[in-house]
Amino acid sequence: MNVPISETAAREAAGYVLDLPGADGVEVVVAGSTIGMTRYALSQIIQNTVKNEVRAYVRVAVGDRAAAASTNQLDREHMVAAANSALEAAGSSPPDDDFPGLPDPANVGRAQGVFRWDDATASRSAAARAEAIGRLLDITGDDNVAGIYETSAHSYSVLSSTGIDCHDAFTRCVTTCLVDNGEATGWAEGSSHDVELVDVEAIAQRSAHKANSGRGAVDAEPGTYEVVLEPSASAMLLDFLSYTGMGAKSVIEGESFLSTRTGMKVAAEGVTVADDVYDELSVGLGFDLEGVPKKRVAVIDDGKATGPVTDLRTARKLGVELTGHGSGSAEFGPYAANVTLAAGDKSLDELIGDVDEGFLVTRFHYVNVLDRPTAYLTGMTRDGIFRICGGAVAEPVHNFRFAQSALDALAAVEGIGRDRVAFAPDYGSFGSTVAPPLRIGEFKFASRTSH
Amino acid sequence: MEEFLQKALDAAVAGGADYADVRGVLGATESLSVNGPSVESLERSTSEGFGVRVLVDGAWGYAASSHLNDREATRIAQQAVEVGRASATRIDQPVELVPEPVHTDKWQTKIERDPITVPLEEKVELLASATAQMQNVSGVRVARGTMDLLRYTQLFLSSEGSSIEQTIWHTGAGIEATAVSDGEVQLRSYPGSFRGHFAASGYELIEEMDLPGNAERTAEEAVALLTAEECPTTETTLVIDGHQVMLQVHESVGHPTELDRVLGMEAAFAGTSFVGLDDRDQLRYGSDKVNITADATIPGGLGSFGYDDEGVEAQKVFLIENGILVGFQSSRETAAAAGADRSNGTMRAEGWENFPLIRMTNINLLPGEGSLDDLIADVDDGIFMTTNKSWSIDDKRKNFQFGCEVGYRIKNGRLTTMLKNPRYTGITPVFWGSCDAVAGPDEWKVWGTPNCGKGQPGQTMRVGHGTSPARFRNVSIGVDQ
Repeated sequence: MNVPISETAAREAAGYVLDLPGADGVEVVVAGSTIGMTRYALSQIIQNTVKNEVRAYVRVAVGDRAAAASTNQLDREHMVAAANSALEAAGSSPPDDDFPGLPDPANVGRAQGVFRWDDATASRSAAARAEAIGRLLDITGDDNVAGIYETSAHSYSVLSSTGIDCHDAFTRCVTTCLVDNGEATGWAEGSSHDVELVDVEAIAQRSAHKANSGRGAVDAEPGTYEVVLEPSASAMLLDFLSYTGMGAKSVIEGESFLSTRTGMKVAAEGVTVADDVYDELSVGLGFDLEGVPKKRVAVIDDGKATGPVTDLRTARKLGVELTGHGSGSAEFGPYAANVTLAAGDKSLDELIGDVDEGFLVTRFHYVNVLDRPTAYLTGMTRDGIFRICGGAVAEPVHNFRFAQSALDALAAVEGIGRDRVAFAPDYGSFGSTVAPPLRIGEFKFASRTSH
Repeated sequence: MEEFLQKALDAAVAGGADYADVRGVLGATESLSVNGPSVESLERSTSEGFGVRVLVDGAWGYAASSHLNDREATRIAQQAVEVGRASATRIDQPVELVPEPVHTDKWQTKIERDPITVPLEEKVELLASATAQMQNVSGVRVARGTMDLLRYTQLFLSSEGSSIEQTIWHTGAGIEATAVSDGEVQLRSYPGSFRGHFAASGYELIEEMDLPGNAERTAEEAVALLTAEECPTTETTLVIDGHQVMLQVHESVGHPTELDRVLGMEAAFAGTSFVGLDDRDQLRYGSDKVNITADATIPGGLGSFGYDDEGVEAQKVFLIENGILVGFQSSRETAAAAGADRSNGTMRAEGWENFPLIRMTNINLLPGEGSLDDLIADVDDGIFMTTNKSWSIDDKRKNFQFGCEVGYRIKNGRLTTMLKNPRYTGITPVFWGSCDAVAGPDEWKVWGTPNCGKGQPGQTMRVGHGTSPARFRNVSIGVDQ
């Protein structure tokens, strides 16, 4: 396993500063990545990047104060400079009554890596990525096609003066494909830690089929409708639910739905939304960026809100269980980076078959938050929205803008698909979202556009 | 650094690159957040690295590394060429670059006080003074002050002979009060939302903001919003302040006029554009009050520089003139594809590790005349909105919705009732076509947008927008639009 930064290298870098004079505690996170990203558009490769990155984050505690500094050079000189910078910053800060100290493995447990790792994915060459795109383009033919083929490898280590010493690594392959046939666009994507599990031919075929089905789209009236969300659209709602309300910091600050609705029914029966890096489709780390073992947390368990994911600081402040979801930023707070929605028992066709009058949504675009406590969102549909009539997909329609609470959508779930799909984050390497298709009884489209 | 980068450049050319450029970057940032009386987070970072961009057989290759040694310079250059060769196996149209004169130059942001070297105690004290005042206002749950500082030095060398060194400072700060009651959350910020106001400036920018002097008012407005009237759903005259005009320009003019989007190169991720090459000099984008430039030469903008990241000199060009689309933001590659003689210099990369993309420089709505009060005085019945809170726009940049932190009814030329959750929606050319007034130079300010996302791998860019308040007629307003 040729990880970007080995355990040995991470320990060596951390070893330069873990006994920093003047510090009461030191924590070092060493992150490394090698990313190969080939972008194609206009049915040809347009950009092609290989980048090797490393970063060491040094957090220094002085009494009840802490500060952090980071460097992308792991030699002694740079590590000590970063540590001293953090030490100086901590010393210049006022006392922090809520600082819980650095985690002690005797109290929080020792973390194990998940190691969603595949050697073939890690070592994929630029030539192999180009060859995969070539296979995809051979299928899509004369259509105008765009997307990415990415293979990457990532490693994380957390070490501290309190004895934290944990390591994990994962690989990722992501393929996306947008087909534009001149009249309509279609979309498909795939993501896995294992390059062999991403079927580029199937992705190309799905996207081309979707674009073909989208020819001759007509206007439809905005309104509240029953919808079937394909997994990409479901995953977007989950991502924003996580962003707006699944972390304990947002509970403390009153911005999360959990601030007022913990213990209450917030979603339909059968809806279980968890942060679960151990799900077979998840890609992530077995510990947080404080080195605390990551627990599976069902934030919504069979429709009922239970509680947020936490880090050391917020768990202590709220007096709740430490779940190991520190994001590395005390300002941002703990984060659920591996959100999963439990599968149901229906195929996508069966979900559609249960809809008398509604719409099938391929995916959403440019979603943003209108109100955090209600997870009220807006965004656009794109790359395929179709009317459903009498349980069958009917004509394509022009895109809608939606204005909808993600929580209300989950409360209106009437069917959950059995086939879940894993999605990689759009920005950064961290985490994944695993979602099935959903049938939702009421979903509000507020306006439309002309394509 | 120069000698090291020259080795990489030579290795790329020796390896078969028809064109190559290298960028070596030394970056330093400091990010500070004070929450109530406590320092919530204090993070400093440094970054050093280099990236090699090559054209091989008409296709791009890019490789980058943080290891700064001669062996790595050669390895990364060879890897970039290898990546370019792989790209060349799947291209139909070889990349062509429009010419650019060879430049040998040094450039840096003009600053009075290096923000990175200002004592930390001084920064913490300033923010804590403001947060303490906000926290004293009854009903405020969270009182936060933030400061974000960046110093960025880049050396650019090209196989055509350019050698350009630039040092850029970006400085930003702001305060935000969050009020909570019965599960409702309202917030107000100053001088702008999403971590405040940013500019290419030294610490003097923060000193001029007077954060403590605006803290109490900001907090009181957040609390007042909890009991304010809900913004109605209606169609009426809308006046928006310069901060909201900034986001309106950014999303509905800046992005749609990026030539890579227009040509379809960003189709899969960020999307395309509702405008095409043939729309140049033809499309009525807005009313004749609407004049918008891409200007990398103005002082203080986050999109101000001497040269872009492919060595093209900073320029000022019109995108919209008297309401007509007259230009696009271009690169050397896209300018050639569009039949232009020269790039207008908008290629920028986040750090050493990323391939440069067309990014907004400073996209400015040029001032009209009069004041904000004058704009409001000419409205019998309408709504004024201030400080951006949310944004969303479709993949062709046509159907948009924006939300602001606070609104006010306008009755008979005066601001009256406070409104919460004000949002408006529209279709880009229709909306800009309804613009009947832009406030004058005294109201014009260069705002910074430090969080513009684009590209894959994702890059976050800092861009600027010079704007003043503007007025629009017959706009769809309301929470359910």
